[in-house]
Amino acid sequence: MHLTTGLRGGRYNSHAMRSNTENTTPALEAMKISRLYRSSGRGVSDVSISVAPGEVFGLLGPNGSGKSTLLRILSTAIAPDSGGFRVCGVDGLTEKRKVRARMGLMVDRPTHYDDLTGRANAYFFARAYGMEEAKAEGTLAELFDYFDLAEYADDKVKTYSYGMGKKLALVEAMAHGPEVLLLDEPSLGLDYTSQLAYQRRIRDLADEGVAILLASNQVDEVESLCDRAAFLHRGEVVAEGTPEDLISRVEGVRRIVATLRNPVEYGSLTEVGGVQRVVPERRDLILHCEERPGIVADVVAGIVRSGGDIVNLSVQRPNLEDVFVKLTGEALRDEV
Amino acid sequence: MRFDPPDAYWKKDVALFFSRRFALVLKMLYPIAIIVPVAASGMPAKYAAAVIGIVAIMAGTFGAGETLTSDLNNGILARVALTPLSPRKLVFQILAVNVVLDFIQLSPALLIVYVLNPAPLAWVLAATFSVFATLVTANSIGVFIANFTSSPADVLLYATAILFPLIYVSGFFRNQDPNGVLTLLRDFVPFAYMNDALKTVFGLATEATPLTIILYPTILCAVLVFAVCLTASHLLSPRF
Repeated sequence: MHLTTGLRGGRYNSHAMRSNTENTTPALEAMKISRLYRSSGRGVSDVSISVAPGEVFGLLGPNGSGKSTLLRILSTAIAPDSGGFRVCGVDGLTEKRKVRARMGLMVDRPTHYDDLTGRANAYFFARAYGMEEAKAEGTLAELFDYFDLAEYADDKVKTYSYGMGKKLALVEAMAHGPEVLLLDEPSLGLDYTSQLAYQRRIRDLADEGVAILLASNQVDEVESLCDRAAFLHRGEVVAEGTPEDLISRVEGVRRIVATLRNPVEYGSLTEVGGVQRVVPERRDLILHCEERPGIVADVVAGIVRSGGDIVNLSVQRPNLEDVFVKLTGEALRDEV
Repeated sequence: MRFDPPDAYWKKDVALFFSRRFALVLKMLYPIAIIVPVAASGMPAKYAAAVIGIVAIMAGTFGAGETLTSDLNNGILARVALTPLSPRKLVFQILAVNVVLDFIQLSPALLIVYVLNPAPLAWVLAATFSVFATLVTANSIGVFIANFTSSPADVLLYATAILFPLIYVSGFFRNQDPNGVLTLLRDFVPFAYMNDALKTVFGLATEATPLTIILYPTILCAVLVFAVCLTASHLLSPRF
């Protein structure tokens, strides 16, 4: 795996990126897209986003917020009830095959032909996207090597781990050199080294002018990788901007993360002076607090009074997750 | 021409067909195991023809229906459909490769039938073609069924509902001397032509000629294949 250069976070080049792309036609433009599933009533409503060439755009939202639905529509898998979208100027509703040819796609639950080898799967998709034989073989060899899959390329996919299957899906999405890349939870299930490799590749592709739309629940990933991000909540875009802009909305807020040995009734913590919000997340309690002297001690005392046994405590700067909580009053990730 | 790694959908199916060796042996042996004893038993021609016909129909319908349903359920076919490949061409490839692979499975057994029951070359060719046409029809039904099914059990249910009337009308067991509307309906089912051809191979005279055995099923199959390819957009859409 090639990790000789450091990861360049999207946050650090977003201004340069915007100045490069401000006056260009969007590579991907979704206009007032709505689609509701009759069975559940969920979906997306009036969603408009635009991704410029060379831009990495993050879609954040809890499960069921509409991220995957939006990606399904933009990948031409399903049609919207209303609205439309364009990919590199091509209408996504009337010229589906042209749009598909310009796009790379990784779905949230990648599947493959299990009885074929990883190489055969990737080669099949590369050729389906119109790659020439020699170019497909060369590009795939490079990508298999990059994602540490070369050793397993000739193994049947049914022997692959979940993470290997995800990496194979990334190879399939990138191999044909798409102009727009749609990725649904791409890093979920990847080991740390693979995540770094994948993130570096995404930045490299963006530098080459590829527009990337990334749906994720991983706040750190979106913060470090994306030039802009949008929050989806119950099918609607509730905020959009650069990660810095979004985080600036919770200026003056500190987050205290307390990892507890046991679940506690945390309602009384909101009565501690300066505590704005308490959000449980797995074994953690996340408290959004005003910056004031002594607040950490007061929070610890409150947790202890509630019967909580603190095994870890940290005070952090706010992140995108806090912005989402502030905007919606709900947690970004599912409670466990 | 290389099949592995595959550069087309049909080559992928061929590669998969030959990659599962144990399954391949079973697939090649089971038609022989059923058809050869029937052909060698000296049972009445109409029943021998019916048994072979049923094997061809079942192999075609269930093979295509179950494979497609399984690929649609796990999402891989929907993913393939999101490549720039033409959905109709994709469905045509699915259909064509399934028919040819089914035909390869049945060919050794058919060859043994012809050796055990020598018939004029024209009838051998007509019977062989009629089996092929039956496989086209059966696979078309299988692909059509996959538009509505969500599990292999559904395929069995839907296929039974569709095939029983068709088998009845074709005169495999009942309706051997059809009258009125049944005569007209029989003319529109390719299985009936195979039944006539195989009966002739087994020595039972019918009113059919090798030309009619080849001509009418060709027209019927062309219409069926066209109709099934029209379902491509629905068939290849994601299942939720």
